[in-house]
Amino acid sequence: MHQYLSLPILFPVVMGLGLLVVRPARKLARSRYVMVSVVLTSLFALLGIQMAYRYGGDALVCVLVRFSASFSISLRIDGPSMVYGALAAVLWPVVTVYSLEYMEHEGHEDRFFGFWLISFGVVLGIAFAEDFLSLYFFYELLTLSTLPLVMHSMDEKARYAGRKYVLYSLSGAAFAFIGIVFLLNFGTTLDFTYGGVLDPARIAGNETTLLWVFVCAFFGFGVKAAVFPFHGWLPDASVAPTPVSALLHAAAVVKAGAFAVIRLIYYGFGPDFLRGTFAQTIVMAAAAVTIVYGSARALRTPHLKRRLAFSTVSNLSYILFALTLMSPAGLTGALTHMVYHAVIKITLFCCAGSIIVGSGREYVYELEGLGQRMPAVFGCFTVSALALIGLPPLGGFAGKWMIASAAVESLNPLAYAGIGALILSTLLTTLYLMTIVVRAWFPVGELDTAALARLRDPGPRMTVPLAALTVLGTALALASGPLIRFLWAVAHGSL
Amino acid sequence: MILLLPILLPVIGGCFVFRQKNEQARDRLVLWLVGLTAALTALVCLLPVRTLQLTTIQGTMHLALANDGLARFFMVLFTGIWAPVSVFSLPYIRHAGREGQFLGFYTMTLGVLMGLCMAKNFVTLYMFFEMMTLLTLPLVLHNGTSAARRAGFRYLGYSVFGAGMALAGFFFLSYYLTTPDFCPGGALDLPRAALHRPLLIFVWFLMTVGFGAKAGMMPMQAWLPAAHPVAPAPASAVLSGVVTKGGVLAIIRVTYYTFSPAYLAGSWAQSALLALALCTVFTGSMLALREKQLKKRLAYSTVSQISYVLLGLLLLSPDGVGAALLQAVFHAVAKDTLFLAAGAIIMSTNFARVDQLRGIGKRMPVTMACFTAASLSLIGIPPMSGFVSKWYLASAALEGAPPWAGPAAVSVLIVSALLTAAYLLPVAAEGFFPGAGFIAERREVGRRMTVPMAVFSAAALVLGLFPGPLLRWTAELAARLF
Repeated sequence: MHQYLSLPILFPVVMGLGLLVVRPARKLARSRYVMVSVVLTSLFALLGIQMAYRYGGDALVCVLVRFSASFSISLRIDGPSMVYGALAAVLWPVVTVYSLEYMEHEGHEDRFFGFWLISFGVVLGIAFAEDFLSLYFFYELLTLSTLPLVMHSMDEKARYAGRKYVLYSLSGAAFAFIGIVFLLNFGTTLDFTYGGVLDPARIAGNETTLLWVFVCAFFGFGVKAAVFPFHGWLPDASVAPTPVSALLHAAAVVKAGAFAVIRLIYYGFGPDFLRGTFAQTIVMAAAAVTIVYGSARALRTPHLKRRLAFSTVSNLSYILFALTLMSPAGLTGALTHMVYHAVIKITLFCCAGSIIVGSGREYVYELEGLGQRMPAVFGCFTVSALALIGLPPLGGFAGKWMIASAAVESLNPLAYAGIGALILSTLLTTLYLMTIVVRAWFPVGELDTAALARLRDPGPRMTVPLAALTVLGTALALASGPLIRFLWAVAHGSL
Repeated sequence: MILLLPILLPVIGGCFVFRQKNEQARDRLVLWLVGLTAALTALVCLLPVRTLQLTTIQGTMHLALANDGLARFFMVLFTGIWAPVSVFSLPYIRHAGREGQFLGFYTMTLGVLMGLCMAKNFVTLYMFFEMMTLLTLPLVLHNGTSAARRAGFRYLGYSVFGAGMALAGFFFLSYYLTTPDFCPGGALDLPRAALHRPLLIFVWFLMTVGFGAKAGMMPMQAWLPAAHPVAPAPASAVLSGVVTKGGVLAIIRVTYYTFSPAYLAGSWAQSALLALALCTVFTGSMLALREKQLKKRLAYSTVSQISYVLLGLLLLSPDGVGAALLQAVFHAVAKDTLFLAAGAIIMSTNFARVDQLRGIGKRMPVTMACFTAASLSLIGIPPMSGFVSKWYLASAALEGAPPWAGPAAVSVLIVSALLTAAYLLPVAAEGFFPGAGFIAERREVGRRMTVPMAVFSAAALVLGLFPGPLLRWTAELAARLF
């Protein structure tokens, strides 16, 4: 039983490697193999979360590799692990159904799904990591396992995007590593502890150094979370196949960055140490700037997937901004938006992918009148767009509300400016998403009716996951009461 | 439960309007939906005040409805305007095209407006406010031109940003309230609010300017003159007559049901907002005078006239509120007549500019008679109803604080009345008296278009001759807030 947690991590990695080695000839066999692996992994992960919830995280501590008495790769499920792990476990199978259909248009599915499975295991490794070293190990591994997915089409743009991705991510992780080393030296342990691990006796006199190290580590992990000015890899990575953009670069990988920042602040350096310092000011300002910058760039980008990528940059900084409030209320807001944004953004990206596959059109100005021809896709897009804009009672509103409430409570003037950034971003989000909705449903000017007549909604293997994701997002929004109560408990350290 | 019906019926019924291919059936469906909603509104008004809790967001924020006094007033006003305009819009939109889309969104908007009226707390109000913007957007976009699209996005942008400002203000405000629900006279936790008055006064300013965008108050009024000319006439009518009043309603809820007038009176924000309102009254009328396109002239007129309402509200006195509510009703009635008349003229003759309207009174006597009656009301000439509201506004301004507001308001009101006469009366005069040698055939529009106009004009006259019941109603509503 005490080795159980190795299962949700090792099983998909092994199955992924298996797929890379043994390339099945028949498509159906491969599809079944992939689907079964993903679903089983999700079940293993969710079961682990359930057991940790019932019996406490300590019941399931698992050491994968032990290097020495104090260094090991080990796993343990606590509050944030449950949130991030459940998010990944629920969303991965749905997007897998979508991607099995989608990748038929792209080719080389063996290579793709092999690394797809491995990445799933690695993401769960990040979620379930018990200490900073384990987190760092899986974090680096994530960059490497997702690289082939970003570079999938192997053309010039894809290879450029891949190089940029690797460069940014590995550099960022290196800076983050500095933070981990300092935590090791000035902290009681590297294990995640709610409230921080810093030893007051040891840090006395070294606060300024530690704060600068924190800023370093924040931006280091922040690279994956696309904080300005290290966000550049994300829009370029949108050349990847849509399932990659959707799941990895809207939900799994970028949320891993945010997750690492959660660990850094709330389970590493400790919010009490950081609150009120210049370090908080720097990181909060960076997050607030990114919120507006991402939305503004999104508005100016005519390429649909790049627009959504910039939108991700902006929304991730909603999460980072909430985290920089250094309070349990801020953490609650961050977790809330993390959950809702993941579901909504995956839906938007999958809609974009369906549009590209169904019509070949990649730019916003080419979408005139498509709504009538592809109502399922654009229906889901419209609902998700309204959710992201923040129309109550849909998901985006709950996240924004929690974040803004936490900002008001913090009594920090910079946080008030952050609220202004949120509102400005809401306006920009409305404009850059509603442009697409309005063009699709209310076309202007001469329409190429012959070309339009050939367009149709994609098959059920794409539209059903889209509808499922939209319904999931709406259901989560309507069930926001219990969900936010749970996240509140997580944020206050009771799990 | 019954509170939900006036909302759900038009919204769900509106979805069926889109799909209905048979024109007669669709027209009948629209009329039935609007009529039933009006009946339900009457029912809701007769029932005692009750609350309905809808879902909960994040555990502590409830979406809730209540049919309190203010809700009833505005529900009656909105349905009262919506019904005749529906009748007008059926033949008009057949002439414009894509009826299903227009009528569908038109019907659904009514449901959302009912929700806006009955919103019991800020979050519910915000939700219906944003829904109202989103559902009226297709009405603005309807004609499918690039100008319509640009105007639509301007509308969307200003509305969403304004609502966002109000939401930002509410994030702060919620910590100083005893209850998140609207209470007549305010819901402030007075001991705590007294400690942070500067912050809260600024918050009120922010929220009023934000919601004021929808009400066409400066500095966020630019969407109005862009959106009204490009939208079909019935859409312009309801945008001017009803949707802007949605912004007014939101400001009333914030000022009188969340903040309390006593708390706000005498602050710098009150003076600043009064100045903005007076500025808007004056500038709107000036711009209307310069504008040659008829619908755009009427749009500027709306910008000006709604700020009369805001002027009354910002006096923070019972007389001011009463006068403001009266002006809201009378403006809606008169302005809708004018827009419907403009629509009838466009449909019959394709003339959109004021200088083309020589002799239009000979061509379309009924339309122009209604136009003239409404103009007289808007200017404020007795016995039309507009006179009553402007008289009460002036007297409320003279009585209330701050002291500079009285004379300033009265002067601006007088100047604006003169300007209004200058930009409306010549249209009527040239229409009926085009000079010798003008021969025109009668090309009046059908009864489904003239009857609603006549109904509104008659209302403008009757409410002016017998303002008693309405005066009592508004005075009673206002008194409860102090």
